Amino acid sequence: MTIAPNEVPVIPRGVRLHHDRVRDKWVLLAPERVISLDPIGHAILLEIDGEQTFGIIVSTLAAKYAAPADQIAADAGEYIMGLAARRILELRT
Amino acid sequence: MTWSKPEIREIEG
Repeated sequence: MTIAPNEVPVIPRGVRLHHDRVRDKWVLLAPERVISLDPIGHAILLEIDGEQTFGIIVSTLAAKYAAPADQIAADAGEYIMGLAARRILELRT
Repeated sequence: MTWSKPEIREIEG
């Protein structure tokens, strides 16, 4: 299962990005859960503003990293789907 | 920075 280009990833209420100064790491804080973000995960989350479609996010990241869009769509899609399965992200159409 | 596959790492209370 993949994410359609017109779907919009959303960070739901109660979930937020946070910079842990002690460890100098970005984390995603959710109720009773903390996800440690690697630099690529952080870059993906920064593009999720509740308005940009997955297709636009992939295009932006492909330009930013000079990487093939299909590779980014596969990797970012799997990442977002994994977070959605944990109810840390939502997908809207 | 080059693209690499991101991983979901949940921190364990």
